[in-house]
Amino acid sequence: MVGLSVGEQHFVKGGIAQDLRTDGRKRLAYRPIYVETGVIPQANGSARVKIGGTDVIASVKAEIGRPSSLQPDKGKVAVFIDCSPTAEPTFGGRGGEELSSELALALQRCLLGGKSGAGAGINLSSLLIKEGKVCWDLYIDGLVISSDGNLLDALGAAIKAALTNTAIPKVNVSAEVADDEQPEIDISDEEYLQFDTSSVPVIVTLTKVGAHYIVDATAEEESQMSSAVSISVNRVGHICGLTKRGGSGLDPSVILDMISVAKHVTEALMSKLDSEISAAEACEDES
Amino acid sequence: MAAKPGAATPTYSPKLVGRSRLPVFKDSDLDWSRPDGRGFHQCRPALLQTGAVSSASGSAYAEFGNTKVIVSVFGPRESKKAMTYSDVGRLNCNVSYTTFASPTLGQGTDHKEYSSMLHKALEGVIMMETFPKTTVDVFALVLESGGSDLSVVISCASLALADAGIMMYDLITAVSVSCIGKSLMIDPVIEEEGCEDGSFMMTCMPSRYEITQLTVTGEWTTPNINEAMQLCLDACSKLGEIMRDCLKQAASPSDE
Repeated sequence: MVGLSVGEQHFVKGGIAQDLRTDGRKRLAYRPIYVETGVIPQANGSARVKIGGTDVIASVKAEIGRPSSLQPDKGKVAVFIDCSPTAEPTFGGRGGEELSSELALALQRCLLGGKSGAGAGINLSSLLIKEGKVCWDLYIDGLVISSDGNLLDALGAAIKAALTNTAIPKVNVSAEVADDEQPEIDISDEEYLQFDTSSVPVIVTLTKVGAHYIVDATAEEESQMSSAVSISVNRVGHICGLTKRGGSGLDPSVILDMISVAKHVTEALMSKLDSEISAAEACEDES
Repeated sequence: MAAKPGAATPTYSPKLVGRSRLPVFKDSDLDWSRPDGRGFHQCRPALLQTGAVSSASGSAYAEFGNTKVIVSVFGPRESKKAMTYSDVGRLNCNVSYTTFASPTLGQGTDHKEYSSMLHKALEGVIMMETFPKTTVDVFALVLESGGSDLSVVISCASLALADAGIMMYDLITAVSVSCIGKSLMIDPVIEEEGCEDGSFMMTCMPSRYEITQLTVTGEWTTPNINEAMQLCLDACSKLGEIMRDCLKQAASPSDE
């Protein structure tokens, strides 16, 4: 929770109305983004993303599992978010739980696409090893280390970077087995598969403060918001997910306006993020 | 509900906007009709009833096709002792499924988030400042899951809140749209939800023309979003009228 005096509240709101925010940014400007990959050696892929004072880590772990009976031709992906009380005292106990599940749900919605798999950032069919028998289960874990607003965008970016960094061992399945038996598998130590993460969308949250909306809100600005809309947009400009937070209602035309602004902002953010991720990957390869 | 004899069950299909929608069938290889024989932009008949549970402060029962939902509202009553003082009221929402609601045993994890989504849809519309220090409980039970469960739960909950006399800025109506291939279909049934490419759920206040909650999953182009929004807004306003009629009917003294 951010405690702002009435004067400070006016200052934040007034700045946004005049397109000059407290840290000198314009309404549609992001804070500098810093990406580091391969930060967790135990995971198959990991990344740390810092956006201003917001600092998050995402890790991807892959485990051999069984496809669900409803979708025998697909692997499984689960997203968990942990908002630890080390980031902020209010995250202790139930407070963190609520926010964690809200963020995890929003990320799932943005990354996993519809029921048929359309618009999914991760191609679930590529996680399949043998239909109905063996598949990869991906566990995506996000950890909030420090929170200064805009957690969802940061986590989305971190997951995108972590997936780019992920290497999944190649698996050889032994030849024919009876239908009711689990096939034997052999996990290779040398050959790894990389994900194609070009279709993973980025998430842009537009926070409405007063009559205007801003991107990449800090915690101070978020405390003054009336509502926020998170929109995930993929490379071809399609909307892959949308969630709204905050109780107050929005006019339909404002939402459509927000969507077009988000698409515009995404283009710049996507290329920025791509170059940061490839730079981080290159940096990791060198070391 | 004392429906007029002979009168068809009220439904709330949005009007077809602009051109007829023949290309839907032409362009894609989906030459099928909807499982229940409806048009793509036709909603299921809506049956709404207030006062379903006598012990609750307010309650409502909704039946949209096979989706059957009952919502009870209790309170406002004193908040639990452990809660600190609050000068606005609290809202507590819970959505649960009966064990026989869906054909498959062991419900998916999908339903867990419904409680928080119901809460988010309602919190913006209730005048919380009218019941300080107290809590309103909204309990929804899905008797039979037949698709678009959450939107039915939300609409039904707003009816139950109105029945309980909780002050609200407006009624809340919710409508969902599924996108399969190139076609958009309103108020999807469970079979359609299972194979949808994208889903779109919107809750709005029809009189104030404001969207309180919006969730989109799957891949959507901007024109599709626009169209889905128009469809939903139109359907929401019509559903709002039906809900209003239902409340008026309950409030007016019966002639018999």
